[in-house]
Amino acid sequence: MRAAPTQEDIRRQNLGALLRHVHVLGPTSRARLTAGMGLNRSTIGALTTELAAAGLIVEEAPRDTSGGGRGRPSLVVRAQSQRVYVYAFTIGVDRLVAARVGLGGVILDRRELQRPGSGFSPKEVAEALGGFVAQMRLSAPHDGVCVGAGVAVCAMVRGSDGTIPEGPTQDWRNEPLGERLSAAIGMVVMVGNDADLGVVAEHTRGAAVGCDDVIYLHGDVCIGGGILSAGRPVAGGDGYAGEVGHMVVNPDGRPCRCGARGCWEAEIGEFALTRGTAKHTIGGLADAAARGDHDAEEGMRRVGDWLGLGVANLVNILNPQMVVFGGTLREVYLATAAQVRSRLNRTSLSVTREHLKLRTAALGDDAPLYGAAELAFARLLDNPLESGLAPAAG
Amino acid sequence: MALSPTPAPPPASNPVLELRGVNKSFGAVHVLRDVDLSVYEGQVTALVGDNGAGKSTLVKCIGGIHTADSGEYFFDGAPVTVHSPRDASDLGVEIVYQDLALCDNLDIVQNMFLGRERRRGWVLDEDSMEQIAEETLAGLSVRTVSSIRQRVSSLSGGQRQTVAIAKAVLWNSKVVVLDEPTAALGVSQTAQVLELVRRLADNGLAVVLISHNMNDVFAVADRIAVLYLGRTAAQVNAGEITHSQIVELITSGQTEAFGPGAGRNGVNR
Ligand SMILES: Nc1ncnc2c1ncn2[C@@H]1O[C@H](COP(=O)(O)OP(=O)(O)OP(=O)(O)O)[C@@H](O)[C@H]1O
Ligand SMILES: [Mg+2]
Ligand SMILES: [Zn+2]
Repeated sequence: MRAAPTQEDIRRQNLGALLRHVHVLGPTSRARLTAGMGLNRSTIGALTTELAAAGLIVEEAPRDTSGGGRGRPSLVVRAQSQRVYVYAFTIGVDRLVAARVGLGGVILDRRELQRPGSGFSPKEVAEALGGFVAQMRLSAPHDGVCVGAGVAVCAMVRGSDGTIPEGPTQDWRNEPLGERLSAAIGMVVMVGNDADLGVVAEHTRGAAVGCDDVIYLHGDVCIGGGILSAGRPVAGGDGYAGEVGHMVVNPDGRPCRCGARGCWEAEIGEFALTRGTAKHTIGGLADAAARGDHDAEEGMRRVGDWLGLGVANLVNILNPQMVVFGGTLREVYLATAAQVRSRLNRTSLSVTREHLKLRTAALGDDAPLYGAAELAFARLLDNPLESGLAPAAG
Repeated sequence: MALSPTPAPPPASNPVLELRGVNKSFGAVHVLRDVDLSVYEGQVTALVGDNGAGKSTLVKCIGGIHTADSGEYFFDGAPVTVHSPRDASDLGVEIVYQDLALCDNLDIVQNMFLGRERRRGWVLDEDSMEQIAEETLAGLSVRTVSSIRQRVSSLSGGQRQTVAIAKAVLWNSKVVVLDEPTAALGVSQTAQVLELVRRLADNGLAVVLISHNMNDVFAVADRIAVLYLGRTAAQVNAGEITHSQIVELITSGQTEAFGPGAGRNGVNR
């Protein structure tokens, strides 16, 4: 039996809930917080005073353009986005991004490194990201507070300790990524899979707000899936759930990186998963198709057909309210939607797709980056006053 | 649990705009024949059909540029008369026509307020107009224009389309009709306009999208209405039909899946 929560537990929980509201919704009036959190006005007032004293929020009179309002307007509570921040990173196969993200989910600073075709070893990743953090620290405000760091990586992540068993490139084997990055930047770095974090970001502040059964599909050389069911991430026993790219859709099909044949990502093909402006991308293919190139048209048709088939399987198994296409799949979906929809409508069960929405990532390519920031903010939002106020590292 | 920032619109029950049995002739040419169309809040209704099927004519009847010869026009369930663009916009119905009608020598803000400043009986100063324009573009998550004081002549095709759409939603419109917004655009600009179209509906508007590109249609549509030789061949859910069936409906007015004679009453959900 657990003891009943103490006053202190309740207060901590309310502080976290209020800060999370402001973090997710942006500037919010006290009146709206009162209504939304089901607490009375004086409790909200006491909580905001405490959070303001800790430097996490500010309260200000609402900016009123119409004028002449009756009664005293409710104060607006705003996150201290410039002052309270995290470091968020993404590790793609051939692309690294580092950002300083303020409370409220505002990207304050960002750096990027691309290396098409070759990729990065864990050591190179740590060096590059460590260098970026050193640069970004210089432009952070002097009274700034760094409250965490998180990374989204294009590889499977063991749930228990954040180890990467293999990939993104061959020199990654049982990589203790969290430890390595923590050493490089001098603070704890939380690790998550890019699609798992992408779905969190789209659910928090993207296309899937208010939608608790979501599949986020992230294309980037490979295809990853992040799944929310009843608002909770589907992680699997060891944290590896969602490897939808290796769903076999064609047993005698094309060889896959993983050693199997006919995996979804192998059948959809490199066109769909290559980034940039080269001809070997979906954009290049779509342009050629628009000019009447029959091979390109056929290529588009095939890509859309395979995409629709995989989505149909996922929809039958998980009955999501929404499928979000992110990374390179955003453009692929928009350019081949007639095929995707047709295949989906022919293949999935009509009841499983009845309320299905197909959307592109509202956060674009940055969905995993925003998700990494959410991971990094989690500790602060769970316990704003105890964990939030460590001085900025370094 | 978190507050939901924008409550999702409830599933559409009754159409916000509905046309029944609309006819329109130009002299001896009978262009629209007993056309039906239903449009719902929070949904994108794609309007498709071959060249000359009557899509733009229908849109001009919705927007009050043409007056139908016969037929009924319902808004929020009540019969209304729409004899001028003014009547339409008083209801909250805005049309973005194929030719856009933007003024090249004016900037984005000026274009968004062009012809509208005094219509609703209040005059806005420059600062307020700038702020409203900015908020409207931000509300649509438009980040592609660098300055709202840029002249429209300096914008790309996709940006011009964006400005025209933003102008249409500026006045709390309820229904926005877009006549071929992606026709002249390349792949990546088309993608941005499609996402904007989807966002309008997800924000609660009823959107009608005309397009000849079936990828555009299937990418964003909740429902698809097909015109064939001036008649409503079908109104179907996008989750219940395939590309080839739509192509059949466009080219022959019927599709096997719905049986022969699936005319205006054949598929209507
Ligand atoms: N003002 C007019 N006077 C006479 N005929 C007209 C007029 N406007 C349209 N039409 C005729 O009505 C028919 C339908 O034209 P409409 O422009 O509505 O087609 P549409 O479906 O929009 O075609 P498109 O895909 O080419 O834009 C055509 O045969 C056209 O010539
Ligand atoms: Mg037309
Ligand atoms: Zn595989």
